[in-house]
Amino acid sequence: MDNTYIPVQMKVENILIEDPAKTLRTFDLSFINSEDKERFKYMPGQFCEFSILGRGESPFGIASSPTEQDFLRFTVNRTGLVTNEIHYLQKGDEVGIRGPLGNWYPVEKFKGENVVIVGGGFAFTTLRSLLIYLLEHRKDYGEITVIYGARNPDLFIYKDEIAEWEKRDDLNLHLTIDKEVDGWNKMVGFVPTVVKELAPKAEKTWCVVCGPPIMIKYTLPVLVELKFPNDRIYTSLERKMKCGIGKCGRCNIGSKYVCIDGPVFSLEQLNTISEAF
Amino acid sequence: MIKIEKNKFDEFLEILKKEYNVFAPKKEGAQTSFKEIKFAKDIEFNNINTKIPKEIFFPQAEELFMYKDSKIENIEKKKAIAVWGVRPCSAKSFILIDKIFGRAKQKPGDKNFEDPLWKTKYDDSLVFTIGCNTPASTCFCNWVDCGPFDSTGSDVMVYDDGNGFLLEGISKKGIKFLSDIKDFEESNDKDRQNIEVLKNIAETMLSKPIDKDLLKVKIDKSWNHSIWDEMSAKCINCGACTYNCPTCHCFDIQDEGKSNKGKRIRLWDSCMFPDFTNEASGHNPRDLSKDRFRQRFMHKFKYFPENNGDYLCTGCGKCIQVCPVNVDVRDVLNKIIEF
Repeated sequence: MDNTYIPVQMKVENILIEDPAKTLRTFDLSFINSEDKERFKYMPGQFCEFSILGRGESPFGIASSPTEQDFLRFTVNRTGLVTNEIHYLQKGDEVGIRGPLGNWYPVEKFKGENVVIVGGGFAFTTLRSLLIYLLEHRKDYGEITVIYGARNPDLFIYKDEIAEWEKRDDLNLHLTIDKEVDGWNKMVGFVPTVVKELAPKAEKTWCVVCGPPIMIKYTLPVLVELKFPNDRIYTSLERKMKCGIGKCGRCNIGSKYVCIDGPVFSLEQLNTISEAF
Repeated sequence: MIKIEKNKFDEFLEILKKEYNVFAPKKEGAQTSFKEIKFAKDIEFNNINTKIPKEIFFPQAEELFMYKDSKIENIEKKKAIAVWGVRPCSAKSFILIDKIFGRAKQKPGDKNFEDPLWKTKYDDSLVFTIGCNTPASTCFCNWVDCGPFDSTGSDVMVYDDGNGFLLEGISKKGIKFLSDIKDFEESNDKDRQNIEVLKNIAETMLSKPIDKDLLKVKIDKSWNHSIWDEMSAKCINCGACTYNCPTCHCFDIQDEGKSNKGKRIRLWDSCMFPDFTNEASGHNPRDLSKDRFRQRFMHKFKYFPENNGDYLCTGCGKCIQVCPVNVDVRDVLNKIIEF
């Protein structure tokens, strides 16, 4: 019987601790069976159910880009039962994934136009996937702007890559932290305020926002104020999930299920749903 | 249409048992619920007020798979199921749940999202539905596109004329099954007239249905209205309504066992519980009792119709019977159209 609830077997290839408090770890996984790898085709913005037998499953956005063939990346914040168990994983351990699940950022629509990526904290995972994808297809897109905020400098993820991105001249990268910290010489301020200050131009531009719910809530109106049309503002939402395939019933926002109708929604769509904000 | 005298039911059951595991209402203590049946004498023929049969195809706890030393064992397909004696409201509920579990949601890349556990049981099943000669005071099937003799979701409709059962094939599967069985009398004109009489009497026992067009208009505008505060004030979010609902399909997934041996199971869950949506971060999008109360009715009377064209309710009235604080779905619907 073809059982969609059975996870695909993966091996932990690499683990990176992202912050000094060790609450954020990045896991690079590889497929144990080559046919599973063949079958697994994904796009930036999609997610997987990460499975630890005996403990359970949790959904995480895929942080690697489909252009990165060798590994599948997830960055996990240690918060609950499953994420705690994931943090105990060692290199070489076997885990499971179900996916790819959900829809993705509409990169085809972005072609030939500018893209503004607005991210907050450890929600930068699928935004990394998107950014790597765009940079890999650099000539297909116009200006790329990234506005990335974290509570403090420690809480940015992918710090080595950020350092690389900062050197590029085909990418406008703006980093901001919530409160002033010694030694920080970049922007200070909450993401919505910083977006307002930087005021990226809306003309021929698409915007993708992902972060904590409060950040999303206050950033979207700023973008509207900056004259971004509602159908050009995209965000990725999170809800508690179990099945990931539109059956278990808990991740709905109004009549939409985040797992199958999302996680990526345009502001135009969200404005029609009473429960969205 | 064939006729089965009640004292000949054993013969019929034997035929059915050859191909199917047969489930029917069985009385155990004060409760009548659907159990696997071996003998006709175990069947409770007269009780309209059974527990809902949803668990035959969607058990309260069910293994998704088992695992041992990181090797995963798939579940095995069992003998096909025949269900005798569900009511039209339950037969229709199977069709509604099948819209979620049974159909693959087509996504780019043709991803298959059928629920294997539901499909292997439901797709091969044979559903015998008994028309309701005497609907209960809590029944409101006629409000929600169902009825005491509605055949939606039935393979065979069964009419109880007092002396015996008249069986009418509805689906292809049902018609074929009836044409294959012999040794039973054909129904006559008088039998058919009797059925019409029964149907007419049952219709008169039901209350006047709600204005569905008005419900649609009003429920769309109701989100921020104080009626939700008023109506949810007495709800204790116990979840009895959802557990007894033939159409509620929400579930939780949990692991049972250790890392080297155990099983992943799914369990009925309820939108009435705060943990249903409570995230590990502590953020809960439906934090208030009111939020959860509203979700239940919105799902049944707004979201599901928007996505699938039907109410996610068949008017069985079970939630009205079991609610410890007397929340009545009919009152809720009336409140919505009256505000």
